[in-house]
Amino acid sequence: MTFETMLSTMASGMLKTGLIFVLTLIGSLPLGMIVALLHKSRFFIVRKFISIYISIIRGTPLMLQLLVWYFGPFYLFGWNIGNWRFPAIIVAFVVNYAAYFAEIYRGGIESIPQGQYEAAQVLGYSKFQTFMRIILPQVVKIILPSVTNEVITLVKDTSMAFTLAYAEVFSLAKQISASQSSFMPFLIAGVFYFVANYVVEFIMKRIEKSMDYYK
Amino acid sequence: MILEMNNIQKEFDGLEVLKDISFGVDSGEVVSIIGPSGSGKSTLLRCATFLETIDGGEIIYMGDKAARTGEDGKAVYAGPQEMKKFRSYCGLVFQQFNLFPHYSILKNITDAPIKVQGKSKDEAEANARELLKKMGIEDKADAYPFQLSGGQQQRVAIARALAMKPEILFFDEPTSALDPELTGEVLKVIKQLADEKMTMVVVTHEMPFAKAVSDRVIFMDGGVIVEQGAPKDVLGNPSEERTQQFLRVFER
Ligand SMILES: Nc1ncnc2c1ncn2[C@@H]1O[C@H](COP(=O)(O)OP(=O)(O)O)[C@@H](O)[C@H]1O
Ligand SMILES: [Mg+2]
Repeated sequence: MTFETMLSTMASGMLKTGLIFVLTLIGSLPLGMIVALLHKSRFFIVRKFISIYISIIRGTPLMLQLLVWYFGPFYLFGWNIGNWRFPAIIVAFVVNYAAYFAEIYRGGIESIPQGQYEAAQVLGYSKFQTFMRIILPQVVKIILPSVTNEVITLVKDTSMAFTLAYAEVFSLAKQISASQSSFMPFLIAGVFYFVANYVVEFIMKRIEKSMDYYK
Repeated sequence: MILEMNNIQKEFDGLEVLKDISFGVDSGEVVSIIGPSGSGKSTLLRCATFLETIDGGEIIYMGDKAARTGEDGKAVYAGPQEMKKFRSYCGLVFQQFNLFPHYSILKNITDAPIKVQGKSKDEAEANARELLKKMGIEDKADAYPFQLSGGQQQRVAIARALAMKPEILFFDEPTSALDPELTGEVLKVIKQLADEKMTMVVVTHEMPFAKAVSDRVIFMDGGVIVEQGAPKDVLGNPSEERTQQFLRVFER
């Protein structure tokens, strides 16, 4: 196998890795906000449910969660869902990352001084306006560095999809390396993750910079 | 009467903070509230501006009841739609300014008129620039709060409150968070508003200021109004022993 064939074979894995990455962010960034807000619900049951969910997610390996989402429907409920592999991966990642993002959001929301809410209330802003116009923009600035860390972790965590034999970069590298007795696939995979994170960091720094206009 | 507060009661988990407080504010009147720390001054302003809910009594703005005592003796508030109207009658200037740090000075002042009152951007900005000029900081329109001194920030907060055109403006120790050399510029604009007959209630520890601008001074202690009247009487010749005691601290 030439280097070019290797690269083009692995390119399909890179697309799959990219797909997991993008879909996970699209799902978990907003879901995390919903989870964070439910965590402050006035109903005890809801708060309890959310905190149990978060502690289960944080207390167990993502690899195990992937297996549970993939095999759970069949072993627990006898459901046979066709083509469940990829959806199971995305669900596992979204549910996992939403929990981590929720904790980041919650910290950010709690760090906004009470006076901001009170000033908005006296000016007549609705609860929704207060959150969207006054609180959220400030939260975003505060949490951005932690979100960046989490996103970089996600780039590397996509390799866990290998647990379900999904042909993303890491799985392919392992496969090709074994069949071709070559170290090259690992190098390609390494460069891929490194460059991907470089890009992530570059973009996040740009966003952070764009919010530097106030303190 | 712009505002009447009758028999106001407020407690925080068992601790009675306001005990049967009654007072009114006439249009154009400037009322100063003085009293030791913990006497319930902030709580009273927060109840008047609906940041806290009262447990008993009535709050009446412009003749309409925002809160009244229900059959069981507990306070009952008007419905959400009516409460919007009552909120629009009052403004509050905080000790800690509470400007929105992510908005420019201009946007701090125009955002609520545009988003809450539905004013046009042009109208809101023209009004905001006029207010900034009045506050002596028209050159700060495009700055951000962190770039301003405390005194300037507090003047922006006053402009922000005035932009909503409230019937009555409350101040909770507007100069207490400021360095002594910056209190003068804030007190000056409040004085200017008093001269224009803006209706105001000011919680303050600045006795000379209270004497100079107020039509009436209220002395509070332990959740009750101990004494109220003309500044020259309450500050100059108080009839109650507790008022005398409190004022002696300030004379040193
Ligand atoms: N949110 C609150 N929860 C519990 N106690 C409070 C709260 N706000 C104020 N208090 C108490 O009410 C009393 C009056 O406080 P405050 O109105 O701030 O007084 P002042 O402004 O005159 O210093 C104090 O004993 C204070 O500890
Ligand atoms: Mg106070």
